[in-house]
Amino acid sequence: MAGEFPSGEPLTSAVTPRRSAVRNALDGVTDPELDRSIVELDYITGIELGGGETPSDCGSDATDGDRGSGTVTVRLSLPTAWCSPAFAWLMLVDACAAVESLPGVGRARVVLEDHVHETELTEGVNGDRVFAEAFDDADGDLQAVRRELNEKARIVRQHRALDALLDAGATPEQLVSLTTDDVAFDPDGPDSERVVVSVADGAIRLCVPRDSMVDYVEKAESVGLDLDSGPLFRTPEREPISVDEFELVRRRGRLASVNMRGQGGVCAQLHEARQRSREAEGAD
Amino acid sequence: MYRQRGEDVFVVDAHVHHWDASEENIKTDGGEQFIRCFYDYHTGFTPEDRQWSLDEYRKYSADRMVEDLFGNGAVDMAIFQPTHLHEFYKNGFNTVDDNAELVDRYPERFIVNGRFDPRDGEAGKRELERQKEEYDVDGVKLYTAEWKGDSKGWRLDDPETFEFLEKCSELGIKNIHPHKGPTIRPLNRDAFDVADVDDAATSFPELNFVVEHVGLPRLDDFCWIGAQEPNVYGGLAVAAPMVQNRPRKFGEIMGELLYWLGEDRLLFGSDYALWNPDWLVELVMEAELTPEQRDEYGVELSTEVMRKVMGENAARLYDIDIEKKKKELQSDEISEQFGLGDDYAADAAAD
Repeated sequence: MAGEFPSGEPLTSAVTPRRSAVRNALDGVTDPELDRSIVELDYITGIELGGGETPSDCGSDATDGDRGSGTVTVRLSLPTAWCSPAFAWLMLVDACAAVESLPGVGRARVVLEDHVHETELTEGVNGDRVFAEAFDDADGDLQAVRRELNEKARIVRQHRALDALLDAGATPEQLVSLTTDDVAFDPDGPDSERVVVSVADGAIRLCVPRDSMVDYVEKAESVGLDLDSGPLFRTPEREPISVDEFELVRRRGRLASVNMRGQGGVCAQLHEARQRSREAEGAD
Repeated sequence: MYRQRGEDVFVVDAHVHHWDASEENIKTDGGEQFIRCFYDYHTGFTPEDRQWSLDEYRKYSADRMVEDLFGNGAVDMAIFQPTHLHEFYKNGFNTVDDNAELVDRYPERFIVNGRFDPRDGEAGKRELERQKEEYDVDGVKLYTAEWKGDSKGWRLDDPETFEFLEKCSELGIKNIHPHKGPTIRPLNRDAFDVADVDDAATSFPELNFVVEHVGLPRLDDFCWIGAQEPNVYGGLAVAAPMVQNRPRKFGEIMGELLYWLGEDRLLFGSDYALWNPDWLVELVMEAELTPEQRDEYGVELSTEVMRKVMGENAARLYDIDIEKKKKELQSDEISEQFGLGDDYAADAAAD
């Protein structure tokens, strides 16, 4: 969860964080197109602690007063040299902010390697510029790109949650009117791996894997969906779902999931091919 | 001709290239990075024992191309989709005129498409007229992410593009193939976006829009548009080779495409030399959906469905009479060279 610091890494602000803590922080950063962790996707090629790298500000709001003094440099490489600069920018900014949120880190520097625009991207993000300054032919709002990708991630996560609930025996009629009040997130205490969802006016309780619901709610909140008023699940256009259109909404969610998985497959294959050719070059 | 369970399948490879990315032809770093990116796609989705070396891949002879496509009978006809990229390559990467040379040599086998770039203005329109006059093109390949001067791309719904689409309509160029897939530099104005196809397809109902690579990073947007616009088609280049090492994902993608667009609006393409039909056609033809996928989508990759996807749909768009064509191919130069004549002899499978 955002802002939560992984346990098992005792740190004080006077100490440079361990590499594993940096990695844990980066694990919360996603490739916005694939909605998967950049650590899991194997984009991180190096983490350097300490040293006198040029400080950066990666667009975060933190003030220097509450920071430690450690400097961390994170190196990343994406599946191709042509990966979208807009998506790359979002990942770099998020990686930088995630590392700077760690106690003990003064400044983080993120370095993109093997990309057509590695210089513009690396200098832009570390130099606290905005995307449109780094790319003068960018014609639009980077935040709009982020919103759109987040919205897609929400639809995919919703699909996963709906599938889990349908598997557990829920009906479309029950699902379209579900609200957050119907969901008990920690029925067995804080380490619960399941969520209990009440349907049919509380007459029936269904158990589903916790991740499926928590991941959905987290993304729905991050795109600004007001879950306190109105139903938990919405159409891709964010409207409440009518029973009649439930099946269409489910199929659209499935389609978005297939797209994301398909693209994930392409990226993974390219990433492997590129690593193989790098290794081959290294061996020459 | 491909044969499955005793039935003939006439294969039109609707997406091939004859490119030149030799070191002598490369103009900028972009050109070098572009071919390397293609090469990663090649090695990423080609069986290990069928991979080319980077040197072979940069530039291949016409003879090799002909043998790869037709030698083992995997493909019966092929459609060139030009990709000029003059900003990257001195003589262009894969130009209409270069492609046309092969059409000239093997007119029964190859079809060449034209291309336009709305940023070329009036001169571009005259060039399109020339392509129609000289090569009688029925289609154009559009590369909206192509760099030109300071511009890094354009859109199908730009007013200038509409002028060119009107021109296509006037000239009888009816098949529009926008590349909507992996791209060279998607900024905000980005070639991942398929929304511009929607506008163009609505405004030009007399034209067919074959979205190449089924908009893969945006398969969801593409299918949603395709479900609403009857003149939108999907070109399977890039999606097809996933069958090789991501068969489950290939099955899901085919399931979605058949569900939203149906079996009459999908066109097979190898994207040669990205991938080689001499192994790809067989793998695609042999692909099956899992039982769960069949249940979920209510579709099957039956011979009947695949016959449409592999050839009949393209034949319809390009006015190819398959039965008549088979007779012509019985004794053309390529059938002679590779001993394919019997494949096309009086429909053996039907007798």
